[in-house]
Amino acid sequence: MGHSTIVTPTPQGGFQTHTVAHHFKTAEQEFQSAKLAFWLFLATEVMLFGGLFAAYIYFHDVYPETFQKGGALLDWKLGALNTGLLLTSSWTMAMGVRASQLSQRKPLVWWLVLTVICAAGFMVVKYIEYSTKYHHGIFAFTGLFSPDDHYAPDLMGLAYPQLYFNLYFTMTGIHGLHVLIGMIAIAWLIWRGAQGRFHSGWYTPVELVGLYWHVVDLIWIFLFPLLYLVP
Amino acid sequence: MIAFQDPLGQLPPQASTFAGDVDTLFYFLVWVSLASFGLILALLVYSAIAHRRKTPDQPALSNVTHNTTLEVVWTLIPTVVVMFAFAWGLKGNLDQQVAPADALQYRVEAFKWGWNFYHPGATTASEHLYVPVNKPVKFTMTSRDVLHSFFVPAMRAKRDVVPGVKQIVWFQPTVENRAELDAQGQPRTDEFGNLIGGFDLFCSEYCGDGHSVMHRKVYVVSQEEFDEKPWDLLPEDPVGRGEFYYKLNCVACHSVNGSRLVGPSFLGLVGREGRHTDGNAYTADEAYIRESIRKPMAKVVEGYAPVMPEFTEAQLSEEAVGDILEWLKTLK
Amino acid sequence: MTTHVPAAETAPETGSRKEPSYLDVTKGFWSWAGTLDHKRIGLMYLIGVTAAFLCGGILALLIRLHLWTPTGAIFESNAVYNQVFTLHGVFMVFIFIIPAIPASIANFVLPLMLGAPDVALPRLNLASFYLWLTGTIMAIYSIMSGAVDTGWTFYTPYSLQTQQAVVSMGLAIFTLGFSSIFTGLNFIVTIHKMRARGQTWFKLPLFCWAIYATSVLQVLATPVLGITVLLLAFEHLYHIGIFDPAHGGDPVLFQHFFWFYSHPAVYIMILPAMGVISEVVTVHSRKPLFGYKLLAFSSISIAVISFLVWGHHMFTSGESEFVMLAFSFLTMLVAIPTAIKEFSWVATIWGGSVALTAPMLYAIAFLIIFAIGGLTGVFLGTLSVDIHLHDTYFVVAHFHAVMMGSTALAFFAGVHHWWPKMFGRMYNETLAKISAVLILVGFNVTFLPQFAMGSQGMPRRYATYIPEWQIYHQWSTVGAVILGIGFALMLGYLIHSLFAGRKAAANEWGGVTLDWESPTPPNLYNFDDEPVVTGELYDYGQGAKH
Repeated sequence: MGHSTIVTPTPQGGFQTHTVAHHFKTAEQEFQSAKLAFWLFLATEVMLFGGLFAAYIYFHDVYPETFQKGGALLDWKLGALNTGLLLTSSWTMAMGVRASQLSQRKPLVWWLVLTVICAAGFMVVKYIEYSTKYHHGIFAFTGLFSPDDHYAPDLMGLAYPQLYFNLYFTMTGIHGLHVLIGMIAIAWLIWRGAQGRFHSGWYTPVELVGLYWHVVDLIWIFLFPLLYLVP
Repeated sequence: MIAFQDPLGQLPPQASTFAGDVDTLFYFLVWVSLASFGLILALLVYSAIAHRRKTPDQPALSNVTHNTTLEVVWTLIPTVVVMFAFAWGLKGNLDQQVAPADALQYRVEAFKWGWNFYHPGATTASEHLYVPVNKPVKFTMTSRDVLHSFFVPAMRAKRDVVPGVKQIVWFQPTVENRAELDAQGQPRTDEFGNLIGGFDLFCSEYCGDGHSVMHRKVYVVSQEEFDEKPWDLLPEDPVGRGEFYYKLNCVACHSVNGSRLVGPSFLGLVGREGRHTDGNAYTADEAYIRESIRKPMAKVVEGYAPVMPEFTEAQLSEEAVGDILEWLKTLK
Repeated sequence: MTTHVPAAETAPETGSRKEPSYLDVTKGFWSWAGTLDHKRIGLMYLIGVTAAFLCGGILALLIRLHLWTPTGAIFESNAVYNQVFTLHGVFMVFIFIIPAIPASIANFVLPLMLGAPDVALPRLNLASFYLWLTGTIMAIYSIMSGAVDTGWTFYTPYSLQTQQAVVSMGLAIFTLGFSSIFTGLNFIVTIHKMRARGQTWFKLPLFCWAIYATSVLQVLATPVLGITVLLLAFEHLYHIGIFDPAHGGDPVLFQHFFWFYSHPAVYIMILPAMGVISEVVTVHSRKPLFGYKLLAFSSISIAVISFLVWGHHMFTSGESEFVMLAFSFLTMLVAIPTAIKEFSWVATIWGGSVALTAPMLYAIAFLIIFAIGGLTGVFLGTLSVDIHLHDTYFVVAHFHAVMMGSTALAFFAGVHHWWPKMFGRMYNETLAKISAVLILVGFNVTFLPQFAMGSQGMPRRYATYIPEWQIYHQWSTVGAVILGIGFALMLGYLIHSLFAGRKAAANEWGGVTLDWESPTPPNLYNFDDEPVVTGELYDYGQGAKH
């Protein structure tokens, strides 16, 4: 049973056809399965970050002063800039998904390129923030934690200042890793999109990477106020 | 407190005010469990025999798939039973949580691998616990290193000892239980070296190699005996004091008969020559032994794991280290 | 669905197939190693988890033999004992029991039950297997590179002070966790999107409901274990301070994180077992399951409540009175759907046409031991009693009754039940029945003395113990040897059947769910014709009286 080959309808103009996998009855079933699977994957991401958020909130409660002083050392302007960059990229990503649904090859590529540029901008800002911290002796994950006195006066007098920064670096680091993975995925979409792989008949990867990108954005929307503003 | 016996003989002696209530609830659960288990077993065995398939195409006797009354009943009965157990257990636990204000205050320090018990007013630690009968006693516990758990089965008392936190446990002993002494007045031991008499105290949270040797005794004595401070056992002579400190701090890992435990044996230690894990030779002189107590990780003897905790001056004074050295010299 | 044809009247299928079976369709190493067929992946998992069970079982026997004497009989030091029980736990929990039923049996059976040609995401299915294999190799590497002696629970700060191999073991468990997530995610999508025409949710066999509930737990709970072991590895390497009191962290927070996964994990183990038992009991009693909807909903409610009870692992850690109240109450709630299930199975057997086949004997052994496991769970949920029993052999015996006596036995019941479907061959049923009885007896001889010791206060994870308990330990060791003989016998006749077993009938037991409608063994894409569900579920030819 079920070995019939199904090819999704392809618009004219250099687009490539998509053959539905052998075990699906329809292209719609394949698309819906992929989408549901991806939502479940995103749920695991939310649970994974949920653990980190829980740890952060717990220690914020245990060492309120440390978290307040530590948080004050983060530059909320750079954080806000990054929030803006990610929000913009979410919008360009959504436009890209729309372009793929409408079989618009060039707009798809351009929207995705804009998305990658925003993401790269985010990573550059993150690099600036990290290097400033390192420059002032705020090291993560090492025994070399020794903040400058003029940069972070009285930080060392507080209870476990390193704990705050280790949490900050862990949370933003794992989030940054997700941004990086997203950039690679979008770059792949650009490459395949330029070849005419995605069109109204089959745009599953664009849709899924789009979902992923919105969740990465959403996690930052939680990280930003929690790390930069709440303290 | 409800006086209650132990019909199946599967519980430790009842030696605290908690024991009666806990045991009654325990046996309530035992009887309910045995009754429901017996019912399930009887139904299973009966239908497996009476309703067994005798011919290959025999149909089922019944095709009923649903019976609302029955399903409601077998939902409600367990609900009532477990809610009853929950409420009873909660009430018992409330008693276990809050010590009376007049409880005698003890301080307990757990470490890898042993216990230091500080009796009320004492400045030196003791190896075993002495508590007066029919008086509430309260233990404020800390850990030097990892998780441990203070467990006295006869008292139905247990509490984890968590590093960085002060943990509280209390009980009120109801039965006296002393060490059995031999003709010389020394505590008698069985063939495995376990002390006879007293209630057992265990570590019940896994803490590594010496987990199962953190076994101590709780001696319950009369108020008069207690007033004589029976825990105050620090001998007068340096060698005796050395042995006392050894039993308190070192016994879990270092034997005195040459057998290998977590660390090297103390038998013939003074003057011993050997190699460290880095290949350097050593001779166990006084300075070396002192260093090994204060900074054990600096030099580790070949063939042994680097696991010994540091003993600071607060935990083992300079005088105590001196006493241990005097005692070590006698082990030949 | 179909009218029932008794097994004996059905001619073996030899030579009358329309298509070659999935076992014959392609040959060679790569046709297995690179397969996307859910049945072959299921079999690879079956071999893998059985090997893991064998390793874990041998370690268990060593533990029992060591405890023959109070000072320890075979290991040269307590450290070796600690490493052995840690490996036993890691192998049995993470490598054997969590993937056991879902990834092997359900992988094989679930698409068949849904009338589907494969799972929804065959590539992810194969990826799950290779992640499992990688995780297992990493775990073995951790053993080789230096020992892990933390227990399978990795409690901090002990796990931070012991050897470096904890890091690679943590990463191994991270990898195994993702293997488990992939399996669960795949099955949810498969159940949602791949059901046969006419197969509504309430026409799903109960095994599918159980796997669905399990999968939800796998997807939602496992990521928390992932982040926990990742943080543990960071903590060990860089002292980030979250779990280490020396750096401002909280060891009890680790326990919360760990049990937030590992309590639901207990249900990741037992829910699929309940599903297997439901199927075995109905087929071998030739009677529709009693209280189908209540059974289905109890699976879902167990899954939901299981997320809210993790705190009962920390009743002695100094939780506040209110937290203990809440966790004790919620723990008690789990007992209710669990009791409903047990009663429903017994009611299904009652008045059936009960065939005491090998799978049925395993299922009955499950029902007996699961009752013990469930009832003793109530003791541990009761606060004041738990304070006494916490971290004693009572707990050890309780969770072995649930994990080993229930889940592992259900796994073997399932293996025996679907063996003819998987391989088209039958094992020696007499030997199978002997091994089922040996295992039931062996289990009780092993663990009843442990309940007794635990009640008396014998703490767990002890390499040595006081001599009063020697007689209990010796009985327990005798029981473990009986268990070992039972399992060795099983392994022997199962392997023998692959080469010399008689050809199985097309529908060996007279099952009426879709899995029994496929050819035996199934085709590459399972069915000759696309199945359509029209009739009642579990209709053995007499209709069903509601």
